[in-house]
Amino acid sequence: MDNYLLISLILVPALAAIVVAFVPREKISEIRILSGIVAFALFVMSVYAFINYDKDVGGYQFTKDFAWLDALGIQLSMGIDGISTTMVLLTGIVSFTAVLISWNIEHRAKDFFVLFLLLVSGVYGVFVSLDLFFFFFFYELAVLPMYLLIGVWGSSSDFVTFIRNKEYAALKLMLYLVAGSILVWVALLAVYVEGDMNSFSLLKLQDAELSEDFQRLYFPMFMVGFGVLAGLWPFHTWSPDGHVSAPTSVSMLHAGVLMKLGAYGIIRIGVDLLPQGAEYWMPLLMILGTINVVYGAVSALSQTDLKYVIGYSSVSHMGYVFMGLATLNATGMGGAVLQMFSHGIMTALFFALVGVIYDRSHVRDIGILEGLSKRMGWTASFFAIAGLASLGLPGLSGFVAEVLVFIGTFKDYPIFGVLGIIGAAITAVYILRLLGKVFFGPISEDWKTLPDANNVEKFSAGILVLFLLVVGLYPKPWMDLINTGLSPLIERVAGL
Amino acid sequence: MMLLDFTVMEGVQVAWLAPAACILAFVLITLMRLFDSKLGALISIVGIASGFAIFLYVYSQFNNSGAEEFAREWFSIGSTEITIGIAIDQLSVVMLGVVTFVALLVQIYSVSYMEEESRFGWYFGVHSLFAASMLILVLANNLLLLYVAWELVGLCSYLLIGFWYEKRSAAEAAKKAFITTRIGDVGLLIGIILLYGTAGTFDTSTIIHIAQSGGFADSTLMAAVLLIFLGAMGKSAQFPLHVWLPDAMEGPTPVSALIHAATMVVAGIYLVARIFPLFEVADPSLTIVAVVGLSTAVIAASIALVMTDLKKILAYSTVSHLGFMMLALGSGAYVVAMFHLFTHAFAKALLFLSAGSVDHGTGGKRDIRELGGLRKKMPITFVTFSIGALALAGVPPLGGFFSKDEIMMAVMDGLHPVFFLIAIVAAFMSSVYMIRALILVFFGDLKPENQEAHESPALITAPLLILAGLSLVAGLFVAGWQDFFNVKHHDINFVVLALSLLASLGGLLLGWAIYSKEWISSRDVAAKFGDWEKHASNGYYLDLAYQWCIDRIVLVVARVVALFDRIVVNDTAVNGTGYSVFLSGFKLRYVETGKVYNYALAMVIGIVVVGLTIYWGLI
Repeated sequence: MDNYLLISLILVPALAAIVVAFVPREKISEIRILSGIVAFALFVMSVYAFINYDKDVGGYQFTKDFAWLDALGIQLSMGIDGISTTMVLLTGIVSFTAVLISWNIEHRAKDFFVLFLLLVSGVYGVFVSLDLFFFFFFYELAVLPMYLLIGVWGSSSDFVTFIRNKEYAALKLMLYLVAGSILVWVALLAVYVEGDMNSFSLLKLQDAELSEDFQRLYFPMFMVGFGVLAGLWPFHTWSPDGHVSAPTSVSMLHAGVLMKLGAYGIIRIGVDLLPQGAEYWMPLLMILGTINVVYGAVSALSQTDLKYVIGYSSVSHMGYVFMGLATLNATGMGGAVLQMFSHGIMTALFFALVGVIYDRSHVRDIGILEGLSKRMGWTASFFAIAGLASLGLPGLSGFVAEVLVFIGTFKDYPIFGVLGIIGAAITAVYILRLLGKVFFGPISEDWKTLPDANNVEKFSAGILVLFLLVVGLYPKPWMDLINTGLSPLIERVAGL
Repeated sequence: MMLLDFTVMEGVQVAWLAPAACILAFVLITLMRLFDSKLGALISIVGIASGFAIFLYVYSQFNNSGAEEFAREWFSIGSTEITIGIAIDQLSVVMLGVVTFVALLVQIYSVSYMEEESRFGWYFGVHSLFAASMLILVLANNLLLLYVAWELVGLCSYLLIGFWYEKRSAAEAAKKAFITTRIGDVGLLIGIILLYGTAGTFDTSTIIHIAQSGGFADSTLMAAVLLIFLGAMGKSAQFPLHVWLPDAMEGPTPVSALIHAATMVVAGIYLVARIFPLFEVADPSLTIVAVVGLSTAVIAASIALVMTDLKKILAYSTVSHLGFMMLALGSGAYVVAMFHLFTHAFAKALLFLSAGSVDHGTGGKRDIRELGGLRKKMPITFVTFSIGALALAGVPPLGGFFSKDEIMMAVMDGLHPVFFLIAIVAAFMSSVYMIRALILVFFGDLKPENQEAHESPALITAPLLILAGLSLVAGLFVAGWQDFFNVKHHDINFVVLALSLLASLGGLLLGWAIYSKEWISSRDVAAKFGDWEKHASNGYYLDLAYQWCIDRIVLVVARVVALFDRIVVNDTAVNGTGYSVFLSGFKLRYVETGKVYNYALAMVIGIVVVGLTIYWGLI
């Protein structure tokens, strides 16, 4: 039974997408309920995988292979280790809550859910694939629906000097990610050829003796190619625009899960297959990651659009992931993986709540919104919790992740550690400024009739808050899991 | 898992129940959504009262034979293991007592004081969380757990200062407090991680042990200690990071009493005392501590002299006395600093709660120029405020006299005499501003608009009387205190004693002469100092300077970076690439003419170029 868990994670949403495609367009509530059930089932399966992964055994579990193209050594091979299990859980949580948040989508609801389910299928596919061909296939499957989701259901923002319409954002995002994909694909093929094993299998290619020069040449391709999706500076500009233009649930999934695909790719493909290349290039990743942290935080400081603040905050927080990965030690990388999880939950919560506010006020301008907590107590409380997680308050998940990244960074890169901690302080400034402006102070006349979040939204945000708290207070299950995934990786790097 | 062995319950095995009781109260209030309910207050008070009971038990079991520890794994990754645990020694026992006791009284007081407020239950919920965090802070056996609690204390203070968040000023004050202390916390976290880098553990006693046996590189230890001190400066409102504390008076008065006088702000003092051996090893860090403490004491006292808001006077007085505590630490006498913390906690909580009673009885007046003559209308508050004021001024035989005297002697012993002289001046000012507040609020004629003023109900006056009683007798603990901490008694230096006493009484006398008898005109005094009064009442423009830095530097940089991101990185680089691809496509279509000879020509040119390149050995 367990062996079919992972294929179900991929097929259930994909089949559901096909089914939805055949449901008549007017039957919106049936489509919603079906999507809701599917998302809930995926959530349950993800939690199941998380609980039933045997940490004492470690390695890849729930494995299953399906032959596909033996001549080229391609097979649909699946399995999850400690790192991917964490990511599978993240995907389950975020996609379930995102479906709940998009319950009220009216405009072309059917098409929306078809694309949404396809995207979820692709994301799961990336996290469970152990075959590089399918890894890439699912990677593209996850990225492509994004163009339509933003282009059709997104919203344009209008500034005095900059006009960013959703089509621009969608196109930019697409071009960026495709450019990144090309780099990844070239490098993957190079590894396939150089490995000379007639196999795309990740596990087999791990044993391929790739020369150091080769590794040094191709690691940057993975680093930048995947890094684009993870928002690596200076290839991050698609990300704030994309997040801002995307509809709520897509922003949630995008910032919450999709950006993690990039970071996951760097670990799973980059570090695992090219450890020597990783070791050579990691100082650069450390520099870029630190720039991400500080530059993102400083940019967020002067934004006036709620969603841009959160968008730049994502750029900043993904920087901690890069910093942690660049340390190549267990503490820092463990912090990075936990940060992927933590940031995924936190940013999904942020976007969900911004969506709630925008839905009711049709405004996202920090200057105009004021004193909302008087009317929107639940929204304000949840937003405050997300904000506190974001600024690294102990007791919430962000603290554990960031402190591990800092400890790891200080081992070899103390100056960058200092900059990272300063970045966290800047985060406090923009988050508190935002909270103070939007939620506190006297409520203005315009907002005196705003309704608070409805029960579905509260439920959905409540799940996310719960995970922020549990991970923050009792991170042990997560850390043990991540530890089993990281230790073989660290050994490979250290064994050189 | 046996957490408790009921046959021999050592203090350390029970102490963790104190924060646990408070956390439980917070969780109950939050989960049951008792945000507007009176039940919230009851739960919270039961929680903190159990905390106090646990303190009494721990104290009775405490045998003064060094630290006892108790730790559990929190999580681990690779070789990094993070534990949470508690340690009991003299310092933590004392703090356990001070925190639970003051918090208990403040909560009882708040029941009546906050009666009319909406979010009544929420108020108590945050108080519970605050007490829990503060207790974890003082019990923590490792620096990371201490940091965790430290941040949570900051959060609770943010929530309580901003309790009336509909008021713009309260929301701003809360933000300012959080961000200012956060600046210090950057240092604290870096310092802790630096120590971890060498020690490989966060465990406080191990780190101290390593430091004492010379295990740290001098520069590392020095950097770590000073960075940690930066954190202490933020939390304990030391100059120039003190600016948040006076603004924090935007919160409800009991909050000011609890957080910003008696407990939270002393966290920094506690922290320095906790890792005191590190400061001793990292010479000359103690001198820096002393200089910071002394300047804080003097500067804040001089501001307190000219404030007209009763709560602000008390706030600057707190800052000044925190400076005295830091000075005592800097002079090497952490036991003395802790003693001043102890007497000051009671006196200052008493003063704030009395000020709250004044505020309650007069319908919200805090400006001392609008008050006066209240002694007949509010006799109990008058008596308790007087005791607090005299204790703080250092009048014998009240608590403040002994602790201040101890500080003066320690300074004389451990530091250059200049420190002592300046400290005497600060103590003198302390007397003046206290007597000024006392006279202007309670003596003189009752203003006609204050005829309605009335004494506060028993739930408010009872805690006042208890604290007043403690302030009266706190000084008697001085001998027992030194025994408790196993330090030898100072020989009394009569010159120091006389000077210190002279400063206190002289200050009182001068204040009496100026503000009560009006023998000396306060205007004339002010005129003697030129524009000083104006500068001081503006807090020496520190706030303005910070605001200028934020507006003109931080926000400008942020805007420049944001524009850089939009215009340079995005519009030029990204869109530029996009356009150039588009444009080259546009131009290149003229190249694709479909005529064979054009292609042939291009091919020939290509071959020639490649050939020449190879020929010249360029590749």
